[in-house]
Amino acid sequence: MKLLRILACIVFAAGLTAGLRAADKELNLFAWSEYIPRPVIDGFTKETGIKVNYETFASGEEMLAKMLAGGTAYDLVQPPDYIAEALIKNKLLTPLDYKQLPNFKNILPEFTKMPHDPEQKFTVPYMTGTVGIVINSEKVKEPVAGYADLFSPKHKGRVVAVDDGRELLVGALYTLGIKLNDITPANIAKARPVLAEWFKTIKLFDSDSPKTALLNGDVDLGLVWSGEAATLWNENKKFRYVLPSEGAHMFVDLMVIPKDAKHLSAAHQFINYILRPEVSVLISDEFPYTNPNGEARKKLTAEQLANPASYPKTDRKLDTFRHLGESGALIDELVTDLKNTK
Amino acid sequence: MQTLPLPDAENTHARRPRLWGWLLLTPMLAWLLLFVVVPMGILVVYSFCTRDDLGRVVFAFSWENYGRVFEPIYLNILWRSVVYAALTTAICVAVGYPVAWFIARQREVVRNRLLLLVMIPFWTSFLIRTYAWITILKSEGLLNGFLLAAGAIPAPLDILYTPAAVVIGLVYAYLPFMILPIYGSAEKLDNALVEAAHDLGAGPVRAFSEVIVPLTWPGIAAGTLLVFVPAIGMFAVTDLMGGAKVPMIGNVIQNQFFKARNWPFGAALGVVFTLMFVVAYILVQRRGRAHR
Amino acid sequence: MSSPSTSRPLLPSGLKLLNWGFAAWTTLVFVFLYLPILVLVGYSFNTSRLNIVWEGFTLRWYADLWGNTPILDALKNSLIIAAFTTLASVVIGTVGAWMLYRYRYRFSRVIQTLVCVPMIMPEIVMGISLLIFFTVLHLQLGFLTVIIAHITFCFPFVLVAVQARLQGLDPALEEAALDLGATPVKAFWLVIVPCLRPAILSGGLMAFTLSMDELIVTFFTRGPGSATLPTVVYGMAKVGLNPMLNALSAIFILSTIAFVLFSENLRKLSSR
Repeated sequence: MKLLRILACIVFAAGLTAGLRAADKELNLFAWSEYIPRPVIDGFTKETGIKVNYETFASGEEMLAKMLAGGTAYDLVQPPDYIAEALIKNKLLTPLDYKQLPNFKNILPEFTKMPHDPEQKFTVPYMTGTVGIVINSEKVKEPVAGYADLFSPKHKGRVVAVDDGRELLVGALYTLGIKLNDITPANIAKARPVLAEWFKTIKLFDSDSPKTALLNGDVDLGLVWSGEAATLWNENKKFRYVLPSEGAHMFVDLMVIPKDAKHLSAAHQFINYILRPEVSVLISDEFPYTNPNGEARKKLTAEQLANPASYPKTDRKLDTFRHLGESGALIDELVTDLKNTK
Repeated sequence: MQTLPLPDAENTHARRPRLWGWLLLTPMLAWLLLFVVVPMGILVVYSFCTRDDLGRVVFAFSWENYGRVFEPIYLNILWRSVVYAALTTAICVAVGYPVAWFIARQREVVRNRLLLLVMIPFWTSFLIRTYAWITILKSEGLLNGFLLAAGAIPAPLDILYTPAAVVIGLVYAYLPFMILPIYGSAEKLDNALVEAAHDLGAGPVRAFSEVIVPLTWPGIAAGTLLVFVPAIGMFAVTDLMGGAKVPMIGNVIQNQFFKARNWPFGAALGVVFTLMFVVAYILVQRRGRAHR
Repeated sequence: MSSPSTSRPLLPSGLKLLNWGFAAWTTLVFVFLYLPILVLVGYSFNTSRLNIVWEGFTLRWYADLWGNTPILDALKNSLIIAAFTTLASVVIGTVGAWMLYRYRYRFSRVIQTLVCVPMIMPEIVMGISLLIFFTVLHLQLGFLTVIIAHITFCFPFVLVAVQARLQGLDPALEEAALDLGATPVKAFWLVIVPCLRPAILSGGLMAFTLSMDELIVTFFTRGPGSATLPTVVYGMAKVGLNPMLNALSAIFILSTIAFVLFSENLRKLSSR
């Protein structure tokens, strides 16, 4: 009996120390630059004592390239939806432990069990948005409802578009009545002449800051991310935002935990922290994207909720991008070819 | 006349290396081997692979990437990059040479200060500098504002997002890399030589073109190398100032690793691109030696 | 061979005209070089946070800068990396140029070509291949890996610049020093290096500049704690380049210019 008691003490002590070891001191975060506000990170560190090593990237593709080339083992990464789907398919993510994420219930239902993660096992939505049309209503008086209007010849040289081949191709597919994820060589061939015409109206491509050209007055219309449009609206209400009539989609930026993450507990704590309404509000204050956190939305100001780019009023069910596979190369070829032949 | 600064096979003073000669070269040699040859090797291996759906390499041997590199579209894009780089280099020589010469002629106190002043603007961030150019060149920008106010033009000039803006941006980015090497070579030019040429009856233009320029030729050649070669692969300036409307070879290669997720093809492009330069460099070396 | 250290003798009048022309041209070029800098400094006082259109005058960004640790840390990192890179590049480049000049190695031409390869290799390709290599070596990504990467593409610039100056070097110089009893190392250090100083300065300046502004290779070879200024700036493009960045650049540039214009130490860098 005495031996058993000693054994029990040893096991108990071991369990304690194991628990102590599991209390991580660090978190390796790999996220979009400027997407997680400083006060959020500092607040997290102050509360938990966990040091956050915040490494940044400026595009989902960069993130993927570095991760695959052997980048430092990250604990928490922020991929967009279609990349997350690819990561899941290639078994590169750790399943989430929802017991450590009590705040997950704050996420609105329409942002759970999405096509990229139908069992809701690996991803937590961070921010979402759409791609749409921005119109400088002081310079453009006639109505612009969709892609056809945007790229009409009378706007020649007055349009900025995101430098994203997939977005442009999907726009063309919408106007042809083809579904957005139906990216096949045949459909690409059909979209080619449409895009060739559109490229003639585009003055510049810019994925990083299309708002620059719009604010400078070098262009009057744009096909841009909703965050850019929301920022423009905050600057000057003359910048209207519409979701294209022929078809529109949304994107979701997610938080995921890679397979070889070392600080699982810290990662979960961070996700749970972000899901708090008051913290999520801080993020929305900095970046006027669409907040998937229902409790956080209740705390936003009326002006924030009225921003047509942040919270577009639409009844349409918006699709998301699916994992591309090898069609990514085909799209890139198409765009390079079109740009080359101008 | 030498065309490029090279180890001179006819250097009568160049000796066969003994122990020290090898020992002192070893650090650079090791560096080159480790951080240039090995990564190139990795690239070559990758270029013969195929890829999976994420773009990663699958170690299955294939020639297909190299087949694609020589398609007309990519050769066309490469040619365009070479043309822009050549134009930039030529303008940089024309614009930069007088500056390098002038600085080299100053008192020593002034010389170094001027040289540093040439470089200091480039210690700001590239993006902020380029955005400043956008502010200057945009249709409601400073340049147009100035010209309109002076009555020099009837309507704003459309410079931004055109090839003109791209060339301005490229020349701006590379000018110091032409000025500095020419300075390094011009600085040691003995004034007595110039005076002698003049005493012998040469007018200023002849003295310049037949005495000064040839003597500073190594500097010009070095500057050409340091501008032309990196400029071929440059795409950030063309994207920002040109509106990303026209693809450069740098864009294509970058895209393979990012958007197109085709690392093996990107590696093949990189290998071919580097090899083209190596071949051209060796050819120029040979011609340089033949001249002498 | 050596030039007088006081101002050079006045040139005959034809050349004098040419010189005036050069002076005017140089002034124009400096205006060209500094125009965006003036704009940059001007916009550091812009009230608009997006800093795309001028909206009004304020000093708040300069105040905000002091509290902004990430940006200041990034600048500090950039300077540290650039300093190490420049030092190593100058050493490797100068010694390498001298070795290639003085000795006839069996594969001199191969080395010469290899040295130029980092200049032509696209940064994305170099960045990814180095990252793969570091991963294979199990090297922790951080300052060391970034500095290694930077040195790799910076030292060729020093080497090429120094070689250009070696072209016209009088071989008798070194022989004279050796005849006078100096060891080869001493001859190199006391006679050759001073002659090479302008080229070393040029090369070092180029290396420093390249390192300070490097983005792509740094992205792939850095670790979590080694953010550099270019990566921070590039990341902010999406939310608008905050005038704080302009303020930082303005302070950095203006203090460097002040140092250059008024420092006495620069006399020591002069050539002979």
